[in-house]
Amino acid sequence: MDPMYTHISQQYNAELEDIRSKVLQMGGLVEQQIDQALQALVKGDIALGEAVIMDDTKVNSMEVAIDEECSQIIARRQPAASDLRLVVAVIKTITDLERIGDEAEKIARMAVRLAGDERPKNNYAEIHSLGMHVRTMVHNALDAFARVDIEAAFNVAREDRKVDEQYEAVIRQLITVMMEDPRTISRVLNVIWAARALERIGDHASNLCEYIVYLVKGKDVRHTSLEQVEKEILGRPSGS
Amino acid sequence: MLNIPKANLSTRNSGSSPEPTHLKAEVQQLNFYYSNGFHALKNINLALAEHQATALIGPSGCGKSTFLRCFNRMHDLYPNNRYQGKIIMHPDNTDILGPKVDPIEVRMRISMVFQKPNPFPKSIYENVAYGLRVRGVVKGRGNVDDKIEEALRGAALWDEVKDRLHDLAFNLSGGQQQRLCIARALATDPEILLFDEPTSALDPIATASIEELIHELKEKVTILIVTHNMQQAARVSDYTAFMHLGELVEFGDTDQIFTNPRQKRTEDYITGRYG
Amino acid sequence: MDDTKVSEIRQMIIRHKRWDRLFALLGLCAMILGVLTLTVLFADLLIDGAHRIGVDFFTSFPSRKPESAGILSAFVGTCLVMLVTVVTAVPLGVAAAVYLEEYAPRNWMTDLIEINVSNLAGVPSIIYGLLALGLFVYALDFGQSILSAGLTLALLILPMVIVATRESIRAVPGSIREAAYAVGATKWQTVSSHVLPYSTGGILTGVIIGLARAIGETAPIITIGALTFIAFLPPAPIMAEAPFISFEWLFAPFTVMPIQMFNWLSRPEEAFQSNAAAAGVILIAMTLAMNALAIWLRYRYRKRIKW
Repeated sequence: MDPMYTHISQQYNAELEDIRSKVLQMGGLVEQQIDQALQALVKGDIALGEAVIMDDTKVNSMEVAIDEECSQIIARRQPAASDLRLVVAVIKTITDLERIGDEAEKIARMAVRLAGDERPKNNYAEIHSLGMHVRTMVHNALDAFARVDIEAAFNVAREDRKVDEQYEAVIRQLITVMMEDPRTISRVLNVIWAARALERIGDHASNLCEYIVYLVKGKDVRHTSLEQVEKEILGRPSGS
Repeated sequence: MLNIPKANLSTRNSGSSPEPTHLKAEVQQLNFYYSNGFHALKNINLALAEHQATALIGPSGCGKSTFLRCFNRMHDLYPNNRYQGKIIMHPDNTDILGPKVDPIEVRMRISMVFQKPNPFPKSIYENVAYGLRVRGVVKGRGNVDDKIEEALRGAALWDEVKDRLHDLAFNLSGGQQQRLCIARALATDPEILLFDEPTSALDPIATASIEELIHELKEKVTILIVTHNMQQAARVSDYTAFMHLGELVEFGDTDQIFTNPRQKRTEDYITGRYG
Repeated sequence: MDDTKVSEIRQMIIRHKRWDRLFALLGLCAMILGVLTLTVLFADLLIDGAHRIGVDFFTSFPSRKPESAGILSAFVGTCLVMLVTVVTAVPLGVAAAVYLEEYAPRNWMTDLIEINVSNLAGVPSIIYGLLALGLFVYALDFGQSILSAGLTLALLILPMVIVATRESIRAVPGSIREAAYAVGATKWQTVSSHVLPYSTGGILTGVIIGLARAIGETAPIITIGALTFIAFLPPAPIMAEAPFISFEWLFAPFTVMPIQMFNWLSRPEEAFQSNAAAAGVILIAMTLAMNALAIWLRYRYRKRIKW
């Protein structure tokens, strides 16, 4: 199934193509937000952090605009089958992208708060590493969406487990820091908030992958275990 | 695959699986040739679930109307048309295409509503009564009157025409005429009701009332409907069959066909892409 | 730029409309020519014969004296012959047409018959006269009677009735037939309760136009030997004593209007010419009346039926 087949109505085609590219555009913006929030955190860059907080409204307004376009397509075109799934997947995708944007904003707020504090010796290396991991997940999820690539989507979803493990490790490490030196508690709590936000971004990224599975296979794989879904979907000869 | 249609197309088992809905008719290896030799239907297998609506969709000339008209042997009206295969009707397992079965017997059990409203140029009453007259029901007029009221109520027309039953049917609006035709088809208590694009000549409001009616009719009869309008098929039917070039491409739950068809040709047709 | 385009379009429309007007003018001329000729002919007949038309003209037998001659026997003869014609041609023609249209298998035989039926409508009427002379008058021994004449004219209009009936049967849409079949009607139920009732208007029109032609036929009637001078009426069909109905009139000698006219026209006296003109006026009036009836019937039946 390749949604690039042309419809008899070229206009309809253009409309669907438009929401697809807008989703990717929004995704690009969100990726950039994560990136800059991380930079702000690691470098203690208050200006960059504030820029991220400001730019969240851009993400929000893009969500509203794409939402509106999707309702228009539903009302005027009554999409069916793969087109319907594309529109539904897009509506869900942008909700998660917007949440990712919110999480990035949260990280930026923590970055601004932490900028004045004393910085640890490793300069938040573990948070940076978790952050880069999550950012790659988001990037790959968007890539999978762009290429309608279900294998890639599964790979991203699988990453979420690693992110969760990495998050647990970071938290353990931070708890140790607090136990060693209770004066760091208030600062470390802020760091934990940021780590928590990154973990949530990982969850949202794996949600994006579920929508891709829905888009391609027409199966709702939310609230199902990854192994089961993979066995069902990829277990049989693909390309039906 | 998770959602296998309840009335799977290949069900040829005789009651071994506990199916939630019974089958009303089974089409087995149906081929149809027009008198000019045109092979209009190719190896069709399909099952109609009782008290459910099955929709036939597909581009013009795909054979969906031809298929529908096999069910009441309309093709017998024109010489040299040829059927092959079977349509088994339950519960009596009659093959309605069988050479020993009289087409009139089939038409007494399976009624049809046509594309254009085609009431007789007679009164509303006589239109509905005609099926009964054909069956020789003339004596005991009271009984006939009851039947006619029941049929008109069934077609959601009674309240609009009860005061003018002896008016000419042509004085009704298009939508009312079509409902009159439905009443005419209902008066004889058919087991299956065939609809051949019943709303293609009607405005959207009349269309909506006919669609609503189809929902209600499912309590009494099994419905097979041909439609050009895909949204209509999605709205009124429980199962949908997509036909293309005389073949049955895909048959399944309407939900599945319209959200996640398995065949590329179905997908292309439903989403309005080139085939 | 735009202005020139608009004016070009206007020029073109004016050019094209010229042809419209030209054709309208030509058509009008053609129509006036046809109608005017007929009107003049009719007026001429009326002028010549009007003074003869009166009650006496209808109630008198032909006579050697032009002023007391009337058309009683011819008028009655025409009516009776027409009665026989209708009674024979309508059932035969309608049944044949229904068979051809609804029952006959589509094969070369049927095609052949269809082509021949259409052709029969074009056979010169005198040929029918010859046929009738051999068949009805001699072979079946009906003699030179009203029956023979009626049957002859029935044969003559049979193809017209068949063609008209087939056409009006064909005008009943297939969807109505299918509607009847779809509730389980047999062929005969469909024909008798739908096809024939809905085509009655057309059938009647065909029959009446056929009769209007038959009423003026002279050649076949002369061929079978109608008398030209009859001073008596055929026996009455109703009798005072049992069995009350008599068919003797069928075998009575007779004359008809056109023959009466022909007879008068061949007389040397001027006054008989007036009689002929008067009879002509009545004949035309009868024909027109029948056509009017046909139009009225068609209108009445069509009013109820809108396909």
